[in-house]
Amino acid sequence: MIDVLLTQTINGLMLGMIYVLVAVGLSITFGMLGIINFAHGAFFALGAYIGLLFFRTFGWWAIWLAPLVVGGIGMALEKVLISKLYGREPLISLVVTFALGLLIEAILRWVFGPAGQPFATPKFLAGVIEYGPILITKYRFAVLLCSVVIVVGLWLFLTYTSYGHVLQAGSKDPEMVEMLGIDFPLVQTLVFGLGCTLAAAAGVLAAPIWAVIPSMGASAIMPAFVIVAIGGLGSFSGAVVSGLLVGVVTTLTVQFKPEAATAAMYVLMFLVLLFFPRGILGKSWERVE
Amino acid sequence: MTKRFETTHASRSKTAPAGLTRRQFNAGLLGAAASAPLLGGVAQAQSDPVKIGIVLDKQGNNAVISQGLMRGTTIAFEQAKNTLLGRPIEYTWLDEPNPQVGQQNMQKLISENKVSLIMGGAISSTAMAMAATAKRTKVPTILNNAAAAEVTGKDCTRYSFRVPPTVEVQVRAIAPYMAEIGKKWYSITPAYAFGQDALRCAKIVAKEQGATIVGIDEVPGDTTDFSSYILKIRAARPDVLFSSLVGNDLVNFLKQWNELGMRDRAVIAGVAVSDTSFWDAGAANTVGIYAKPWHYTDPKNNAEEKRFIEAYRAKNNAPPSEKAWMGWFAAKSVLESVEAAKSLENVAIVTALEKWSYDDNGIKVHYRSWDHQMIRPIVILRAKKSITDSHDFFDIISRYPEQQDQVEKLYGTQAEIGCNIGEL
Repeated sequence: MIDVLLTQTINGLMLGMIYVLVAVGLSITFGMLGIINFAHGAFFALGAYIGLLFFRTFGWWAIWLAPLVVGGIGMALEKVLISKLYGREPLISLVVTFALGLLIEAILRWVFGPAGQPFATPKFLAGVIEYGPILITKYRFAVLLCSVVIVVGLWLFLTYTSYGHVLQAGSKDPEMVEMLGIDFPLVQTLVFGLGCTLAAAAGVLAAPIWAVIPSMGASAIMPAFVIVAIGGLGSFSGAVVSGLLVGVVTTLTVQFKPEAATAAMYVLMFLVLLFFPRGILGKSWERVE
Repeated sequence: MTKRFETTHASRSKTAPAGLTRRQFNAGLLGAAASAPLLGGVAQAQSDPVKIGIVLDKQGNNAVISQGLMRGTTIAFEQAKNTLLGRPIEYTWLDEPNPQVGQQNMQKLISENKVSLIMGGAISSTAMAMAATAKRTKVPTILNNAAAAEVTGKDCTRYSFRVPPTVEVQVRAIAPYMAEIGKKWYSITPAYAFGQDALRCAKIVAKEQGATIVGIDEVPGDTTDFSSYILKIRAARPDVLFSSLVGNDLVNFLKQWNELGMRDRAVIAGVAVSDTSFWDAGAANTVGIYAKPWHYTDPKNNAEEKRFIEAYRAKNNAPPSEKAWMGWFAAKSVLESVEAAKSLENVAIVTALEKWSYDDNGIKVHYRSWDHQMIRPIVILRAKKSITDSHDFFDIISRYPEQQDQVEKLYGTQAEIGCNIGEL
């Protein structure tokens, strides 16, 4: 039984890292812009589709351009649409981004059709690594490495660079940041683009093991919201901790009560919010409280 | 007329005075003008379109199923030259985002659009709601995709007809092939009514075949990550993995089954599958044996089916899935029945559908009179060892069963089905 628990726990951490990548982008967008981005899942899907296009056109090496392209699309959308939502009721941003998500999904369906697109794992990452009872696929191990590099890189950027300090200060007091002569609207555009880039990176990584369909974002957005709620709205470290927690709880539920696997994360969220209403590492947010 | 979420398509015969002299044409025109007041009513009735309502998903995960069904349906219309009883066919397609809206849209088609018959019901829950509406409104309704047993079981009606085989029929058809592979089975099914139905059948046939089910997993719908389930299956070391996963769940499962190095460790035996799931998962991830109502490479496909495949390929640049075939075959059965009835009157259409039959390699395909389930053999397929084509993934093992009495038996007895179909 110990073997089984160990295997499923490690598998849960791997799954959790994909969730973390989606949730961190969502958390940053909320934490720094105050926008509840319901279109986040659509950017996840957009990343998968653009990654697929790049793969078909140029090969595997080019798929990493997809998150950058999606980040650029996100910045353009921020300029023309999202920027109009700053300082407004959170409900408005929720409705507008929900509509934006539907629009992106409809465009994907229009361009690529409702059927899924075949996208297999690369041959150079085929196979599994077995160590005693532990089994990890080479692809998931690569996903884990990519996710760790992105998350750690982001943390270093936010913590140790002056630009990161500006972002964090702006999330608390944007007027003060502007008074210091910093072009804060540009900062906001870049932050939204960063959130979209992270969603798209998760989409690219998930595409070879998930169905690539226009509505694939819906499968990512709900766990992401649950993770952000458990970790604490706007908390970077909270999103990481809760993403891993949700991954492990889900896989252990599969082992013992498989039919409840999807419900497990919602039960976890209920229990966490019962004792920590702002999430595990959440802080007070004047914008929404 | 085009509205949001409503699409009406009309096709009327166009006649041109080609080959006539000017005098003949003018004389004809004069005669027609003179008789117009007398014949106006008749002429109008003859040119009035035959209205057909369609209720199928236009968005969401089931849109791909509807796409196949609609493509097949429109080919049947085109093969009939878009006419029925000498009148143009006009069909209106409304959405079925959920059973309630699907039922409302069916009602709208009947009361506002005045359709003579309905086709659709991509998901079983909508199909059951539509069958109830068919019973109440007495409008003939062909359910071209629903596989839930209740549709022709306890919820059967005299005015609804179902094309695809039930899950139980498919499980019974594939069971002997599963037993040939091994007697140690593992079951993975969706954790909702359809999956529970499949699991119940799997347990019954496992007993009949002397097999043991060493593990059971019921999976919530829209599961994206199956790695934990696959690790459990790997630990249980079954010979055969019985699966009734469908749609995106099946795509995700196949991708991860291959990713976790399982393709040679156990044989997947699946029911209720669609070609589109395999095409989505890709050739590299397609393994296993499956039961399906029809397959485009089946050598037993007859001349009519071959013409359908050809027409579909010409129009869509890809072979038809079994969904497209179901759309085509359902529409074909309706069009032929209406022509046989020579009437759009509901009782006449139902009676004609009950009498309709189709010779398929010596097997009489028909809607069974006491539950309106279409009776037809099942195709058993095995994924090719080496797939080189972007669509041709399977070898045909057999059409099962091969005798008429066995086919009838496969679909269950009246006592087993529990349908009380009622009067016209």
